[in-house]
Amino acid sequence: MNYFVVLTLTGLAAGMIYAALALSLVIIWRATRVVNFAQGALAMTTTYIALAVIQATENYWIGFFAALLAGLVLGAVAERFLVRWVETGPPLNAVILTLGLLLMLEAVVPMIWGAQIRSFPAPVSIAAMEFGDLSIALSPFNLFTIGAVLLVVLGLFFLFRGTALGLTMRASAFAPEISRLLGVRVGRLLALGWGLAALTGALAGMLVAPTLLLYPNNMDAILVYGFTAAVLGGLDSAVGAVIGGVVLGLALSYIGGYGGGDLESIGALVILIAILMLRPQGLFVSGTERRV
Amino acid sequence: MTTLKVEDLRVSYGGVSALAGVSFTVPDRSIVAVLGPNGAGKSTLLRTIAGLVRPVSGTIDYGGRGLVGMAPEAIARSGISLVPEGGGVIRELTVEENLRLAHLWHHDAADERKAMSEVMDLFPALASRRRNPAHSLSGGERQMLAVGRTLMSRARLLLMDEPSLGLAPRLVSLIMRTVRELCDARGLGVLLVEQNARSALSIADEALLLSSGKAVASRRASELARDEELWHAYLGY
Repeated sequence: MNYFVVLTLTGLAAGMIYAALALSLVIIWRATRVVNFAQGALAMTTTYIALAVIQATENYWIGFFAALLAGLVLGAVAERFLVRWVETGPPLNAVILTLGLLLMLEAVVPMIWGAQIRSFPAPVSIAAMEFGDLSIALSPFNLFTIGAVLLVVLGLFFLFRGTALGLTMRASAFAPEISRLLGVRVGRLLALGWGLAALTGALAGMLVAPTLLLYPNNMDAILVYGFTAAVLGGLDSAVGAVIGGVVLGLALSYIGGYGGGDLESIGALVILIAILMLRPQGLFVSGTERRV
Repeated sequence: MTTLKVEDLRVSYGGVSALAGVSFTVPDRSIVAVLGPNGAGKSTLLRTIAGLVRPVSGTIDYGGRGLVGMAPEAIARSGISLVPEGGGVIRELTVEENLRLAHLWHHDAADERKAMSEVMDLFPALASRRRNPAHSLSGGERQMLAVGRTLMSRARLLLMDEPSLGLAPRLVSLIMRTVRELCDARGLGVLLVEQNARSALSIADEALLLSSGKAVASRRASELARDEELWHAYLGY
C-alpha cells in the first residue's frame, strides 16, 4: 500500500487525539484565560479511574463513561475550589497553580494505583486491518479514535453554538461582569467549562493508553503536542484547535515516516516555535479580534 | 410599588472614600438624574447598587429587600438592570444573542419572542442587524442594544451610566426620549447618571447633585435646571 496513504491515515488518528487535548485547552483558555498545564495529568487520572472501573466491572464501556463523568466532576472541582482563588490575580499565579495540580496528581495517582506501567484495554482491535492480502495500516481502534473525537467535538460545537446553555457559557467567557449583570450565573458556568474540558481530556487519555500504555506521566509528551495544536489554531479558536490537531498529527506522521521517528518530537518543537515567531495569534484567529 | 431606597451609602476603594453617605429614593415611574463632575462617585453609586461593589456601610432596599451582599446576578434577577458606560454590549456575540441572553433566566420562550419583537419594533435599526456581531454596531446602535437588553430582562429599575457619552446630539435625544417613554408606558424607575446635565434634566423628574462622594443638592429636575449658582459651582458652566 502506498506509504504516503499509510502515513496520512495514522497521522489522522493521532491528530484527532491532539485535537481533543487542544480543544480541552482552548475551552479552558476561553473560559478563564488560564493555560491548564494539569490537563494531561487530569486525563491520566481519569484513565486510571477507567481502568479501576473496567477491572471491577469487567466491562469496558462502564469504565469509559465513568472516566468521562470523572473528568466532568474533577474539572469542575478544580475550577471551583482551586483556580477560582487565583483567577483575579496575576496570570502567572494560575499557571503555577495548574503546574502544582499536575505535580500533585502525578504524585497521588501512584500512591493509589502504583507507579508501574500498565496496559489499558481497547474496545476494538489495535492491530492493523487486513482485507484478504491487503493490509491497511489503519486499525479498528484508529477508526474508533477518529469517530469518538468527532462525536465529542460535534457535541461540544452543538452545545456552544446551538443551545441556550452554550450561549450563556460563551457570554461568561467573553464578558463575565456584563453577563452577571444580565442575570447569568457565571461562576457555575466557568466550573462547567472546566468540567467539559476535562471530559474531553479524559477521552484523549483513554485513546492514548491502549497504544502508549498507562503510567503516571504518560500524558506529559502528549500534552505538549496538544498545546502545539492549540497554539497552531490560535488559543481562542475551537475550530482552529481541532484543525490544528489534525494538521499536527499529519505533519508529525510525515516527519516521522520520511525522516525517522526520532525527529517527531523535534518536529513538534520546530512547528511550535515557527508558529510563535511567524504568526503568534495562530492560523485561525484574526489578529484584530484577539484579546489578551 | 417597587421603590429603590438608598440610605447613608458609604463606599471606599482601598481606604479612599468614593461615596460618603448618600441617601435618596427612586420611585416607580420616575427618572432620577445623578449629576456631578468626574470622580464625584456617580458610576460607583450605580455599580454598588448593582452588586459589583460592596459598600462599607449603608443600606440599599428594593421593594422591601436588602440588596447589600447579594450577588450581581441575583440583583439582576430581582429586576434591576445596569447599563454600563458605552452600553456594555458583548462584542463577540450577535445582536440577537445579546438580547436573548438578558431574557434566558426567565425560561419562558413565548415571552422571549414577545420581548424580542418589542425591541425590534422600538429600534428598527437593530432589526436589520440581528445576526451581526455587536462589535460591528455604531455607538448609537450599541446604546439601543443596551436599552433593548433591559427590556428583554423585564427589569423594573434601570441604572444607566452615561448613555449619551460619545453620541451625536440627534442620537442622544432619541435615547433620552426612549427612556422617558419606557418610564411612562411601563412604569419603570430609572436612575440616570450623566455628565450631559442638560439632556438628563430634560427628561428627569428629580435630580441629585454629587460632588466628592456627597450629595450636595437634591431637587426637582426643573428647579435644578434653573439654579445657575449650582450649575457654576458644580458643573462648571
